[in-house]
Amino acid sequence: MTSLVSARNVSKSYGTVRAVDDVSFDIGKGRIMGLIGPNGAGKTTLLKALLGLTDCQGSLSVLGLDPFKQRKDLMQNICFIADVAVLPRWIKVSQLLDFLASVHPHFSRERAEELLKQTNIKNDSKVRELSKGMVTQLHLSIITAIEAKLLVLDEPTLGLDIIFRKEFYANLLSDYFDEERTIIITTHQVEEIENLLTDVMFINGGKIVLDTEMDTLPEQYVELMASPDNADKARQFKPIHERDVFGKKVMTFEGVNREQLQGLGDLRTPDIADLFVAKVKGGVQ
Amino acid sequence: MTGAANSMDPKWNEDLPIYRQLRDRVVAMILEGVLTDGDALPSVRNVAAEYRLNPLTVLKGYQELVDEGLVEKKRGRGMFVTEGARVQLMKDERRRFVEKEWPVVAATIERLGLNIEDLLKEINTSKSAGDSGKGKKND
Repeated sequence: MTSLVSARNVSKSYGTVRAVDDVSFDIGKGRIMGLIGPNGAGKTTLLKALLGLTDCQGSLSVLGLDPFKQRKDLMQNICFIADVAVLPRWIKVSQLLDFLASVHPHFSRERAEELLKQTNIKNDSKVRELSKGMVTQLHLSIITAIEAKLLVLDEPTLGLDIIFRKEFYANLLSDYFDEERTIIITTHQVEEIENLLTDVMFINGGKIVLDTEMDTLPEQYVELMASPDNADKARQFKPIHERDVFGKKVMTFEGVNREQLQGLGDLRTPDIADLFVAKVKGGVQ
Repeated sequence: MTGAANSMDPKWNEDLPIYRQLRDRVVAMILEGVLTDGDALPSVRNVAAEYRLNPLTVLKGYQELVDEGLVEKKRGRGMFVTEGARVQLMKDERRRFVEKEWPVVAATIERLGLNIEDLLKEINTSKSAGDSGKGKKND
């Protein structure tokens, strides 16, 4: 796997707060990585470091470049949608396209116009006249029209209704993504992107608590739904998390062979949301 | 169960990997005649976008079908149902029924002291009486 992003012992502090605390990871070409963490976990700081918007300690390479020192070169090949809308409210769609065509060497105006035709966004609309969902559509259309190797999405669908959210991901997959492109995405609506991901990374308190391929998740983690009389037996295998559901004990195990748990109850692979709770809250309660 | 309606349903069963469920859906569509010999499968990109799945998952499901000889890849054009795929599937399904399901049914018939001729007669009368299409094949 060729690494598109490579981080070694990356840290970033704000005053005495370690927002990102000694993290190391790699992301390969053609992957869709979900970066999941509670508020204040350090996700946005990490993304900022990847985009060269903040300096950091340790070594960080994105597309073979140092994002902070070689930001200008990097920007030609990466795209970013932030959770805060950054398009100026006064600008007309046509002006925005003019602007991008003049400053961005990899922007295809034709492609952007073709994509915008599929939406209700008009060329002479101003950003301020568009709904929140339409602004996101506009943003995605522009970004899809840029030949970028890496796309970073920070809560891209925040505040959008379910129809726009579904459409956003459908468009992302049909118009943007291919095996040459890589996506890093953060969201709190994990269940919506779960099946989209090739990799998932949990971050909490500035540290990475999980970094794995989705394909190997079932081998590493298993959830057991045990009746109360089997609970003690199951606890011998040291679940990382336990919760009550309809009078049954649901336990999450890490690195425990499914065969060992056979007969103690129903087994399944935990979904990302449940696994996140198990890993981040941790401990048997 | 109509193949089209079923394949539109984006609910996944947690117990089976999604690529496997995709494979099963295509198989069901071939068995039901929704997809026939030579038909193109929807493109990986379309299926991925429609269900918001990683394209690799879709590809893996399709690859299973290729490995089973039910689907063939045509370079630059996509995936197509192989000639004779349905016949092969029917053969497999029949064998599976005879080997796996029929012994269970036969054992039940014997245990309950039923007569096969009577049972067949009964099925034929309920078929012609009902005619609602409900008794069509075993789903």
